[in-house]
Amino acid sequence: MSEATQVTDASFDSEVLESEVPVLVDFWAPWCGPCRMVAPVVEEISKDYDGRVKVVKVDTDKNPSVANKYGIRSIPTLMIFKGGQKVDMVVGAVPKTTLANTLDKYL
Amino acid sequence: MNQASEKNLDLMKSFAESYAKRTGTYFCVDPGVTAVVLEGLAKHKEDLGAALCPCRHYEDKEAEVKATYWNCPCVPMRERKECHCMLFLTPDNDFAGDLQSITTEEIRTLTAQG
Repeated sequence: MSEATQVTDASFDSEVLESEVPVLVDFWAPWCGPCRMVAPVVEEISKDYDGRVKVVKVDTDKNPSVANKYGIRSIPTLMIFKGGQKVDMVVGAVPKTTLANTLDKYL
Repeated sequence: MNQASEKNLDLMKSFAESYAKRTGTYFCVDPGVTAVVLEGLAKHKEDLGAALCPCRHYEDKEAEVKATYWNCPCVPMRERKECHCMLFLTPDNDFAGDLQSITTEEIRTLTAQG
């Protein structure tokens, strides 16, 4: 079972910005209810898009620099990066189809 | 992840139950969501003195507490019954359950594995 990698302030540049494939970043926090709902959706996306999209998670409590840099407010925020740039984002516990449709635009 | 103290958790649980009844809103069909949010609120109450919304990222939590906008019940909830934490859901919401109460035991069990 593939599980999304946890990325930190220190590893964000190498794991996300320098990735050769598009990256879906799940900005979450431990005590956020909707984050808990969206987590299985993110895991499914990770399996469905294996090899085509990299899926990672950032705990905003532990990694405030990255969260501040990208202006994260409401969590969960799911952000898509391509070629080192933020290209799109979806906020809240969204259904899998919403997330998949958003991702498909960048493949 | 540490859980909040019994006192603050009970405080938030009682507040949430009476506020749901007062506003005609319901807890999420997934009690895990309710439990996690109540623990988060209780922890903020403990650490910051106010129940700051746990479903947002803040550059400065102390400053946000003073600003009061995101202290539970937040302004969007009070004005428009919008709770993006999914603690208080209007009956037309797909994720609304039919309960306005949760036991402390349930909260502790559902948040223990974190």
